[in-house]
Amino acid sequence: MARDKIYLEEIFPSPFMQLWLIFRRTPVAMVGFSCFIFLIILAIFGPLLAPHSAIEGQLNMPLLPPAWHDDGNVSYLLGTDELGRDMLSRLMYGTSLTFGLSFIVVIISLVIGVLIGSLSALTSGIKASFLNHFLDVILSIPSLLLAIIIVAILGPGISNTVWAVVMVLIPQFVHITRYAVKEEFRKDYVLASRLDGAGPFRILSYSILPNIVDRIMSQATLAQSAAILDIATLGFLGLGAQIPLPEWGATLANGLDLFYIAPWTVYLPGLAILFAVVATNLVGEGIRHALKVRKER
Amino acid sequence: MLIFTLRRLSLFVFTMLLLTLLSFSLCFLFPGDAVINISGAINATPEQLIQLNESYQTSRNIFFQYLAYLTHIMDGNLGLSMASQSVIGHEILNLLPATIELSIVALLIAMFVGIPLGFVAAIKHNKPADNIILSVSMLGYSIPVFWLGLLAILTFSISLGWFPSAGQISLLFEIELITGIQFIDILLSDSPYKWQAFSDATAHIILPACVIAVAPATIFIRLARTSMIEVLETSYIRAASAKGLTFQQIIFRHAIRNALIKIIRHVGLQFANLVTIAMVTEVIFSWPGIGRWLIVSIDQRDYTAIQSGLLVLSCFIFVVHILTDFIYAALNPLARGVKYGS
Repeated sequence: MARDKIYLEEIFPSPFMQLWLIFRRTPVAMVGFSCFIFLIILAIFGPLLAPHSAIEGQLNMPLLPPAWHDDGNVSYLLGTDELGRDMLSRLMYGTSLTFGLSFIVVIISLVIGVLIGSLSALTSGIKASFLNHFLDVILSIPSLLLAIIIVAILGPGISNTVWAVVMVLIPQFVHITRYAVKEEFRKDYVLASRLDGAGPFRILSYSILPNIVDRIMSQATLAQSAAILDIATLGFLGLGAQIPLPEWGATLANGLDLFYIAPWTVYLPGLAILFAVVATNLVGEGIRHALKVRKER
Repeated sequence: MLIFTLRRLSLFVFTMLLLTLLSFSLCFLFPGDAVINISGAINATPEQLIQLNESYQTSRNIFFQYLAYLTHIMDGNLGLSMASQSVIGHEILNLLPATIELSIVALLIAMFVGIPLGFVAAIKHNKPADNIILSVSMLGYSIPVFWLGLLAILTFSISLGWFPSAGQISLLFEIELITGIQFIDILLSDSPYKWQAFSDATAHIILPACVIAVAPATIFIRLARTSMIEVLETSYIRAASAKGLTFQQIIFRHAIRNALIKIIRHVGLQFANLVTIAMVTEVIFSWPGIGRWLIVSIDQRDYTAIQSGLLVLSCFIFVVHILTDFIYAALNPLARGVKYGS
């Protein structure tokens, strides 16, 4: 038997839930969000689902065009490269390298950046001013250039690329968290909880962080699209993932010599990167739109 | 304006010190001996090594070593390339103008395409035209630049054959190197085929410049759109329309000028972004610029070249940054006041 609500209860959703309720109503953002979820699932289970090996090829069938082509073979849906490696499998493995790694990169730098940012918001005076100027100088250098510098110091390789991109993204998170926390600290509800006797760390974790989580997430989507492009670009330049790894940028660079004979080896990884970045940006736009709508209410 | 200039100059000196300090510390961070990293003399005899140690003052403490490094930079001595043993200072002087030329052309294209489109989007705010421009701009900054470059080569150079796919100018033309900027050199030269060379150089630059311009143009679209929307909501625009000015008069006389000022402020920051994109594009289009040289140096573990290349490139970006700040301050008196945290 259905239990009707007897009392009229007013529901106050948390800031995060409010954002989700608005976000859910924009169809374009939801499309982006489902693509994003799809990519995450592919990044986790891709290596299990892939029909062939990404590294070992069938040497007797190199440069097979995609299946819809006249010479195509259905068991190699997206064709093969010059060593007979299945493109579809390579792209699926690549999802966990390019997209999955960029996701991990963003989470690591988010945690470190938010920690430093919220601690630095509690300090003031010369330490804060120094940090501010230092951040300004770092933020004015483009992320890719900084990543190239760090890779130049550490040496090429996928793990060094990951660390380089993490280090590049941290200042952005520090900056945004610092500003958001400072802004929230001036508001009345923080004063109320301070009057209740809450210490700065309690205020930070119970009052402020739930209220700035949406802004940090919006920054995280920007960081994620930058991370995907940076990892892929470094891979393309030969500074990131090394030869057998099916990272999207590296796969694209690998197909470069055969561009005119086998254009799909260049088209497909590029399309994959574009798809991942567009999905991320759509989610980001959706969050920013929802933030704006909530503010106008 | 004087105080503003002094402020910027002090910031300039401070940042230059920081950048040289960074590039100085790189020679310790790179693997190998610091003196060899800094001078690039890999085949030095023991006597030469002693001499180098003497000139970089390695026996004294780190502060004097840094001072010695600074004096070397001031003398224009950036060391030898580890890979080719050529003088890096000369190489950079030959390569940097090509990058400057490419990035300025790309910046102009980005501004002339992006800003008007952004204004159109703002005027048609929340209408189909606005949505179309916004979606295209989102696609524009999501597309990886190296892929876009390859697609451009495939369509415009291979299939259609409109533009050449690589290099700065056809090898048939012999242009003497005077300023390093190709177009000025061609105009200065007294070759009988001056105008053929000029059109050839133009054909070479169009494709890479357009590829570089795509991402900054989309950012200019967004900047122009937001600043125009802000301007259109101000009270002086309402006053102008209350006066009975037509919509076109309002846009061209009042709105565009005030919206443009806000955009110019961001050009410096966008330029840094543009130079990074140019570095990648130079690799694809075999453009003889500093970005391609730097990436090849990283590949060859040529530490001296990496160190000097980064120093020169970041100085160049920073100088442009300061210059746009000056232009902005000259155009907008409000910006000359005291600003904190900048």
